[in-house]
Amino acid sequence: MSSRPISSRFIASQIIEQVIEKKITLSIALHNNESFKNAGKDKALIQEICYGTSRWYLQLEHILNQLLEKSIKKKDSRLKYLMIIGLYQLLYMRIPSHAVVSETVETCKNINMGWAKGLVNAILRRYIRESDKLDPLLGDNEAAQTSHPHWLIEQLKQDWPDEWQKILDANNQRPPMYLRVNQQHHARDSYLLKLKEVEIEATATPYSKQGLLLKQATDVEQLPGFNAGEVSVQELAAQLAAGLLDLKSGQNVLDACAAPGGKSAHILETQTDINSLTVVEKDPRRAEKLSETLNRLNLDAIMKVSDINELDSWWDKENFDRILLDAPCSATGVIRRHPDIKLLRSAKDVNAICELQKTLLNTLWRTLKSNGLLLYVTCSILKQENSDVIKEFINNNNDCMLKPINAQWGIDTGYGRQILTGQDNMDGFFYACLEKKC
Amino acid sequence: MAILEVLHFPDNRLRNKAIAVESICSEIKEIAKNMLETMYAESGIGLAATQVNIAKRIIVLDLSEEKNEPLILVNPVITKLEGTETSREGCLSVPDYYDTVERAEHIEFNYKTLDNQLVKTDSDGLLAICVQHEIDHLDGKLFIDYLSPLKRQRLKKKIEKQEKQEGKVL
Repeated sequence: MSSRPISSRFIASQIIEQVIEKKITLSIALHNNESFKNAGKDKALIQEICYGTSRWYLQLEHILNQLLEKSIKKKDSRLKYLMIIGLYQLLYMRIPSHAVVSETVETCKNINMGWAKGLVNAILRRYIRESDKLDPLLGDNEAAQTSHPHWLIEQLKQDWPDEWQKILDANNQRPPMYLRVNQQHHARDSYLLKLKEVEIEATATPYSKQGLLLKQATDVEQLPGFNAGEVSVQELAAQLAAGLLDLKSGQNVLDACAAPGGKSAHILETQTDINSLTVVEKDPRRAEKLSETLNRLNLDAIMKVSDINELDSWWDKENFDRILLDAPCSATGVIRRHPDIKLLRSAKDVNAICELQKTLLNTLWRTLKSNGLLLYVTCSILKQENSDVIKEFINNNNDCMLKPINAQWGIDTGYGRQILTGQDNMDGFFYACLEKKC
Repeated sequence: MAILEVLHFPDNRLRNKAIAVESICSEIKEIAKNMLETMYAESGIGLAATQVNIAKRIIVLDLSEEKNEPLILVNPVITKLEGTETSREGCLSVPDYYDTVERAEHIEFNYKTLDNQLVKTDSDGLLAICVQHEIDHLDGKLFIDYLSPLKRQRLKKKIEKQEKQEGKVL
């Protein structure tokens, strides 16, 4: 007898189990799962279930707990994840409910837990029967209703008293897919025509001259000229960085924390006459990703695989005219792209990461020329990592001056400009431009 | 040790009836070891001697995830069948095809080990299904025999077409 084909539902529930129990990111859990890699045409379904379940996990878990009469034993926890992905399919996917129930029950047999068929069947059917009664009850529980952790809701209420509800809502939407046209190959309009030929619908974006918004997310292999470097995938908010650096011919530029390299590539594509771009990345695997990006686009940079804070290991004492610091952050601005952030991040993590942001700023400030600019960027929407960091830095450094950003996008915080997730259909990003006085 | 060739449906040799093993000699042990190796190589969870064109009543099984719990059953006999259960089955002799088959839910059976010990036991779940599936092989039966004639006919055509195409490539 051959082993049974591994059910897509089981693969999805295993991946969710990894995220929750092992605290690893969804993209790594997917990447490490051999069954997922070999799932062929079911890959799209598994991915949809995993991303969607992460997005609504806190809500689905709350519903499951209400449906269960007693909690599931630790050793049978895989059943819990199987039922949670079952609930996701019932609540958020257009799969007929009888098919969800029968596939989930069948999966119990597939994983040698045939004894649990009755339980799984009863729980899913009970939800179908009682959803009219259960769904309104969610309203009383903010965390379950919005599927966000309590700490984050409270923090957003405090930081953005008028906007927090909109942010939570935007976090739960599917993210749009943006492209950046490589202007060394094409003007934006001519690439738009190329897309039209292959019937991919797109529109030009505001704020970035190279930006395109796809009507529908598309596999990059389908994009004309992708492998030849004619176009890259990059969130619109991230495409603002290169313009804000105010690059001039002959300058020496540093991109700190550069991987995966989108912003580095954008700098090199749009300002071909700078003297040099140095890219630094600590993590060797991410550095590899960075060089892949640059190779595909046929761009040159001086690459250092080093920790920024260990200046001696990478810096040749030549000061930079421009520094882009895309700082490590909570990534609370990109939750719609990485819904697992809601499940992995804690308030404590944010405190630790803030210390790192401050250290990086202090270190890099020493490598900046007088009259040079440092652009501080995060994909966070928390004040603690953004305007608070900048305010403290300016107060502690007499030679630092905030250069105002005059833009149509985002909100002026007094210490940098904040885009809140969903504003102009962008991810939540923060930008502050710091000038070093003589 | 050697990896043996697994016969594929619609090979007629899969219809041969296997004969009981009279004495468990070194030849039988060798066959069992080769069958296990073949089963692991094909990522199977069970294999009957008939499938490797040996007409002896021997089956090998391993249902563990780590593939470290081999079971060798010589002259297995089912003494009691109880209840019914349907599940999806696949077979190394019918590659890439899975379908739902009804089996007994609980079975009592006995067999001899390679040490010539008689074991009497019972089982349900996947092991019960697998034992029934493999003993069927020893009697010249395949899981697809339980499907409707129409389904079986369609499957046969599909396989013949595939083999023709593979032949062309070669």
